[in-house]
Amino acid sequence: MDPMAAIKQTFFQECEEQLAELEAGLLAIQDGGYDGETVNAVFRAVHSIKGGAGAFSLDDLVHFAHVFETALDHVRSGRLAPSHEVLGTMLRAADALADLVRAARDDGSVDAGRCDALADALRALDPDAAQADEEADGDDGEIIDFQPVPLDQSIFDDDLATGSVPSQSLFLIRFKPKPVLYAKANEAAVLLRELAGLGEMTVACDSSALPLLSELDPEGGYLSWSIELKTEQDEAAVREIFEFVEWDCDLEIERQIGEAPGEPDVAALIEKMQAAVEAELSALGPTPIPVSEAEPAVIDFAKAREKKSLQSAGDQGAQRADPALAGAAAQTTIRVDLDRVDRLINLVGELVINQAMLAQRVQEAGLARASGVASGLDELEQLTREIQDSVMAIRAQPVKSVFQRMPRLVREVGAMTGKLVRLVTEGEKTEVDKTVIERLADPLTHMIRNAIDHGLETPEARLAAGKPEEGLVHLSAAHRSGRIVIEVSDDGAGINRARVKALAIGKGLIPADAALTDDEIDNLIFLPGFSTAQTISDISGRGVGMDVVRRSIQALGGRISITSRPGHGSTFTMSLPLTLAVLDGMVVTVAEQTLVVPLTAIVETLQPKVADVHGFGGGARVIAIREHFTPLIDVGRELAYRQGDADPLSCVALLVECEGGFRSALLVDAILGQRQVVIKSLEANYRHVQGIAAATILGDGRVALILDVDAVVASSRADASFEQLLATAG
Amino acid sequence: MSVATSSGACAAPVIELPEILDLKAAAALAAEFLGHRGEELTVDASRVRRLGGQCLQVLLSAAMTWRADEVLLAFVNPSPDFVEGLARLGIARADFIDQEQPQ
Repeated sequence: MDPMAAIKQTFFQECEEQLAELEAGLLAIQDGGYDGETVNAVFRAVHSIKGGAGAFSLDDLVHFAHVFETALDHVRSGRLAPSHEVLGTMLRAADALADLVRAARDDGSVDAGRCDALADALRALDPDAAQADEEADGDDGEIIDFQPVPLDQSIFDDDLATGSVPSQSLFLIRFKPKPVLYAKANEAAVLLRELAGLGEMTVACDSSALPLLSELDPEGGYLSWSIELKTEQDEAAVREIFEFVEWDCDLEIERQIGEAPGEPDVAALIEKMQAAVEAELSALGPTPIPVSEAEPAVIDFAKAREKKSLQSAGDQGAQRADPALAGAAAQTTIRVDLDRVDRLINLVGELVINQAMLAQRVQEAGLARASGVASGLDELEQLTREIQDSVMAIRAQPVKSVFQRMPRLVREVGAMTGKLVRLVTEGEKTEVDKTVIERLADPLTHMIRNAIDHGLETPEARLAAGKPEEGLVHLSAAHRSGRIVIEVSDDGAGINRARVKALAIGKGLIPADAALTDDEIDNLIFLPGFSTAQTISDISGRGVGMDVVRRSIQALGGRISITSRPGHGSTFTMSLPLTLAVLDGMVVTVAEQTLVVPLTAIVETLQPKVADVHGFGGGARVIAIREHFTPLIDVGRELAYRQGDADPLSCVALLVECEGGFRSALLVDAILGQRQVVIKSLEANYRHVQGIAAATILGDGRVALILDVDAVVASSRADASFEQLLATAG
Repeated sequence: MSVATSSGACAAPVIELPEILDLKAAAALAAEFLGHRGEELTVDASRVRRLGGQCLQVLLSAAMTWRADEVLLAFVNPSPDFVEGLARLGIARADFIDQEQPQ
């Protein structure tokens, strides 16, 4: 790849991280759980985006980020209180900034009018504009809020130096870029030009370190500059120019005191005091911005943040500390191309298959279990599984990457529907395979939209019902029994069962006299073509019903269910596998076919007894298991492997649990064993087959199909209903 | 960048500097100069629109090398942007031009 393109790509990756930090920080401020470092982190995020965008001449982005950064600086300096309205504007500005970044990345376009309006709104937050009149009345101007410098003060905290500087100051700046400064697409000439913009400047270039051409590294850093700058700006403004390159250069900035005769320069005095404190902190030397390895804690902390931006995209969420919390520990990470990880995963999958084949050969050779080969093979199996787990851990990603897209969605849908919504997320650090995460975004987006649009009531209706005006949408993730369970709940009105049932009857989805339990009525919303909205809205009724959501979840090997309490809200629960690459399965035979049943679905296995199996009319059968009757499903018949029913007495029943906790007994001919299998997509290699989730390759090289338990059970229930209907009609 | 032999009184090859002298141009520029080491050389800076720190290093190092080799290296037709770029990076035009003249 072109080096510039690679740098740009890295910039956009880092932008995504900065945007996530920005939003998380703003939300933390909104929730009140923040400190000075949170505000600084938010400011730095926007500042870094602006800096990088400037290097790539992304003018729109730079312009907007600059306005945003200025508004944030008012918050940082304590001159602007982060009220609900201010944060509302800033959150919308963060969304616009994200749009600008993505438009720059994808050569797309943004709604310029919206960005301009937001930029104006940000400018209007400037407290100086509001206070200008008061100050004109002979007020002494700004009061510098002096506080003792805390020991954990970040070098980014230049709040103390934000006071006005009434006359010109002279700064002596020594600046020596390191090669890495250029490598990160920064440019000494641009920095010098920005510096020149602050006032009157003289520059002297020191080329004494320059070697002859034959020894020169063209991408090295040999030149240094001594700069004299006369400016009305304060030191903070000078430092700001170098803020995002300061770790990539040697930099000294000295302010010459005494350049402003007349009134005492309070700001300069404070800066001097701050410098004195920093000098004390900087036990190893007086350099204002130390860059040596042995730095005081305050600098290590700042470097930790720097390193953090280099983290792998794959585990950024897991590794990254909450931006609301100061003191994140540094993590050593690398960015790895996802293709490489995928290749590794495929290879490990092949290794698993190969190991199974080898085990099969050994078994066929009739070697004793106690033989060296067999025990070596056991060790190999264990190692293979460990490798598999380790590789999977590389791909595992916290659901945060999906969850963090939701606050924006909630804001937008809330604004469109005129509803007040608060989103609470939980378990963001829960990890799941990247493939699952990627395919989770769409269903989750739809469910959140649905929760706000259909679930929550209008503020007026809520008040009338004695609820708080603001509705609550709760999004949580947790690991449970080897699966990830994601819940979306709202505190809205709950499902209007009478309306749902009437609608289902009206659409011919159920017979008019169908006797359904509450649970069954709730689950009607998952039927294809079902929509509870009286009118199709822009938000949730985009031709995508809950049936599509259910299908996408099922395509991931997951299940979705709903529980609802009238007046109290609804909860959608999704249960998904942690990975789509392997599963632990039970290998069974059905009508001489080998099938794999996912182990997570199986509750227990049993040998049916004649007294336990009962006919139920219409060809349906049930089996009594510990005083409960459970539908008995002949897998061979469901998959059309055979016409007649199998004899339960010569078969094995697998008690499985499906979506909604519904249990069924699957009848199979025999159990061959239990093993880890590598999932191969049937859709990608052949086509979708009803009742089958995927395929795998067994140790003997044969392809075995992996049973889609939910689909088989659902299909059997549909058949039974149909047969019952026929019987009723007959 | 292109290299041509001047048809004028000076028979030295001419290196024409590219418009953008940034990070990406530095390695190629250094290689270009090294390919002419020991030769009298004319550098045409008429097209330059942007001068960055690393290309300035190459130009200064080349000037130093040619001076050490006691061979003529002449910069001709500097564009206003080139002159401005030099000034911004603390190199006066006269200093630069004088610097690489063989003694």
